[in-house]
Amino acid sequence: MTDLDMLKSLVDSALAASKARSDAAIARCRAYTGSQIRFSQSSIDIAQRWEELSLDLVLVVDKEKVAIGRTPVASTDDVKKAVDDMVDVAKRLPASALFAGLEDRPGKFPAMTGNYDGKIDGFAVKAPQMVGAAIDAALQEGAKRVAGALKFSKESFYMRSSLGPEGSHRSTAYDLNVRAFQEELDYSGQGLSCGTKPSADEKAMVAAGRQAGSLSKESIGAKQGEPGTYDLVLSPTVAADFIAFMPGAANPFLVMIGLSPLGDRIGATLAPEFVSASDDALFKGGIGSQPFDFEGTPARTVPIIDRGVLKSFVHNTTTAKMSGTESTGNSAVVAVGLGANMLLPSSTNVVFDNGTHTLEELLEGNKPTIYVTCNWYTRFQNYVTGDFSTIPRDAMFLVKNGKRTPIKNVRISDNTLRMFANITAMGKDRKQILWWEVQTPTVIPSVKVADCRITAATQ
Amino acid sequence: MSFTRRSPFPLATMELDKRAGTHVDATLSQRFTETSLMDKGRDLAEHCVEFGRGLGAQYVEARYQSQLARALVYRNGAPVAGGVQPSVGIGVRLLVDGRMGFASFDRLDRGLADDAMTAAFRMAQNSPRKKPIDLGPPVVNKGKWTVKMRESLLDVDTDTLMGLAQEINEQGKGLQSFTVILNPTDTTKYFVTSEGTQLDGHLSHLFINTLITAEGAKGSEQRYLDFTQSGGWERVKEGRVVEQIADEIRRVKEVADKAEKLPELLNQPVDMVVGPEVAGIISHENVGHPSEGDRILGREGAQAGESFWRDLQIGKSRVGSDAVNVSDDPTLPNTGGFYLYDDEGVKARKRRLIKNGVTNEPLLNREFGVRFGMASNGAARAVTYNREPIIRMANTFFEPGDYSLEEIFEDIKLGVYMRSFGEWNIDDRRYQSKYTGTEAYLVKDGKVTETMVRHPVMETTSVGLLTAADAVTKNLSLAFPATCGKGDPAQGVPVYAGGGEVRFRAIRLGGVG
Repeated sequence: MTDLDMLKSLVDSALAASKARSDAAIARCRAYTGSQIRFSQSSIDIAQRWEELSLDLVLVVDKEKVAIGRTPVASTDDVKKAVDDMVDVAKRLPASALFAGLEDRPGKFPAMTGNYDGKIDGFAVKAPQMVGAAIDAALQEGAKRVAGALKFSKESFYMRSSLGPEGSHRSTAYDLNVRAFQEELDYSGQGLSCGTKPSADEKAMVAAGRQAGSLSKESIGAKQGEPGTYDLVLSPTVAADFIAFMPGAANPFLVMIGLSPLGDRIGATLAPEFVSASDDALFKGGIGSQPFDFEGTPARTVPIIDRGVLKSFVHNTTTAKMSGTESTGNSAVVAVGLGANMLLPSSTNVVFDNGTHTLEELLEGNKPTIYVTCNWYTRFQNYVTGDFSTIPRDAMFLVKNGKRTPIKNVRISDNTLRMFANITAMGKDRKQILWWEVQTPTVIPSVKVADCRITAATQ
Repeated sequence: MSFTRRSPFPLATMELDKRAGTHVDATLSQRFTETSLMDKGRDLAEHCVEFGRGLGAQYVEARYQSQLARALVYRNGAPVAGGVQPSVGIGVRLLVDGRMGFASFDRLDRGLADDAMTAAFRMAQNSPRKKPIDLGPPVVNKGKWTVKMRESLLDVDTDTLMGLAQEINEQGKGLQSFTVILNPTDTTKYFVTSEGTQLDGHLSHLFINTLITAEGAKGSEQRYLDFTQSGGWERVKEGRVVEQIADEIRRVKEVADKAEKLPELLNQPVDMVVGPEVAGIISHENVGHPSEGDRILGREGAQAGESFWRDLQIGKSRVGSDAVNVSDDPTLPNTGGFYLYDDEGVKARKRRLIKNGVTNEPLLNREFGVRFGMASNGAARAVTYNREPIIRMANTFFEPGDYSLEEIFEDIKLGVYMRSFGEWNIDDRRYQSKYTGTEAYLVKDGKVTETMVRHPVMETTSVGLLTAADAVTKNLSLAFPATCGKGDPAQGVPVYAGGGEVRFRAIRLGGVG
């Protein structure tokens, strides 16, 4: 029995077991094998391996009660038990105020390419060497110590809905984060590489090591930055965090619970005309790419920001019906707490249009400018107003008269709506980002933002 | 967090059957906790230890963990989701010639276990290290432990949960937006090692998270608040959950209505008094995290970061005033971070992180205990079976001082009492922190006034802040339940944090710029 046959058999069992006891059911069975190598102080700390086979099940009973669960399964007996439990749970639940139906049209799914690495199994053997090569590249650029993690995985799933849609998909993914240090705590640099084909990206992984090492060396002697108002040039890694927050917040559920500032802004101009971004499930090589969503709605490219204007939100069947529009093929099972899974619209890949400027051009100008290469710990005082702060980490440079001077220890304390509106230029160095601080695959270039508020410790 | 007890819950099932309409819940609980499943998990964990030794590993540990989480989610009083999530699996660590491998699997299947362990063993074999990992002298502990509770969360039927949700939702009326997530979660675990440790543990958490948005005369105000309880259903009353939520909602509404910017507070340094919630986040971020041994020696370098403690002499370096005493203690009953043995089988104990302003003791697991020339102090935690145990805080707090509440304010001419906070962050060496107040009051001439201050910002270094502390009140309140994030893949563990009121002299509020 092939993997796909096994997944089909489990899904068929789930739908058969739920047929007489539910109004509708979607079963999706997923096999996942993941590996990770973590390293620090230029040595490998741990090699990890995960094996998972799980069933995602959505059951609708009594027309409006919805239970959603994720359960590990090994056999059709396990599946039947899982269905029994879910039916019981569904009947006990109150009717959901956030359910208005499921996709009921079998769709034709787009062909996907570039999402699977046929050499993934062999890559596990090579992975420790790749980590060694990335570490060496950082050291050769002048780093003294190197830390990071390389994670890679393969996943396949099969889904079928009692309402008609069915399909399967398989994908592979990897992400490498390299952080290089001098002996001091202060002078560090980061390099990232991520994508869907690790065996084809070995050069990119070494380049990530090289970039981390080079930025670390360039940071040596960083001085305390001065608080004030600056133009900021944000690397793709930084822009993927709080600039890409805006298209990521174009989600009706986030609006409903107060985690988005975009509630009543459809049609509003949020950014200059040269800024466009989409939710693109079809992006070639996108880690979040998929031919169809959880309900079986065909995936598509959804324009979110069109020449600066907020054009659309992502939707699933329920939020689309509530908003009087059509699903955008963004339905996903989202965990909102332990045991609390919801069928919600969710981003796939957030993809910005590439810009036209080189990094050097972005750094040009008469105003004091700070180039931020990495950040972390973004926290909001209020998602509705957009007030937030975040901490630049690793290499950061004050740019004056074309000269870069390394600085440290400042904070970006500003407002996401204001910063998005103040974008003055986009680079042409678009790159896919996925790492600790950026959990949605995001494709974005460097971004320049005018008049940003920089703060620092007062004592 | 997490843990195992071997026996199922026969009384629970009987009690459930007495309640109208609860049978379906009992069925699920019974299935999840049935002895055959637990025995299968224990047997496979023991097999994993033997199999790992057979592969050639010098040390093997296996952790069978099962968890049953249920959930109800409400938005503005209306139910939007509910469900149940059983989770069963085994995580194995193998030490291979001083190199560490980890394997996890979610089905209790020998073939799968052997394959996953073999893959992890080979990856570890191929992962050279300059310095071999040394776990130190063998640790052998045997026994059972459990969180104290009277009424198991597994006995609580969905109707009762919905009743609590309704009470909580009543409190949120009038808010712009109110989201409530209830997660009763029961966790059991069996931990066995090649050194002879065999431990059964059991934890029970009622996770309660809320997102509150209030619109008032002065603008919008938002808080994400955690009211998590550890123990049985009795904690709902003992922890005054509904009353606490009602109180916090009232306070958020009041801030949205009344808090205003007071520019005069920016013109000069002012004295700050923070309440137990803010003391808790300071103890966690500015003291607890930098004291983690793995960060100090760089293991978290690419993720959560390193620590400014690296360049200090533990036991000698001063990082705060004499008034600063901060501890971490997993053994406190009915706390979010409670456990009695850690996830390496080491007996838990209190850790005095800072004593009279001087760094005193880092948080350590076995590997870093050896590297610091000290023993593990039982700080290894894994959030679930598929995560490696790493060094974590449990319950972190300012030790009580000797001031009364009146005394701590009495000589302040101009200052701010920051009772709660919203936005915060700290750099990855844990040195530059920012806390933005949510509920804050003007203090004038020794009295806390009714004037609410909008979003005062304490943006300082850790040492700058802790050396400005000169007084702590006598009370201790673990007022800040939270989920602490660390590791890659991420591991969010439940923690508590707190203290009494803490006074910081001559703080320049800001964010300058």
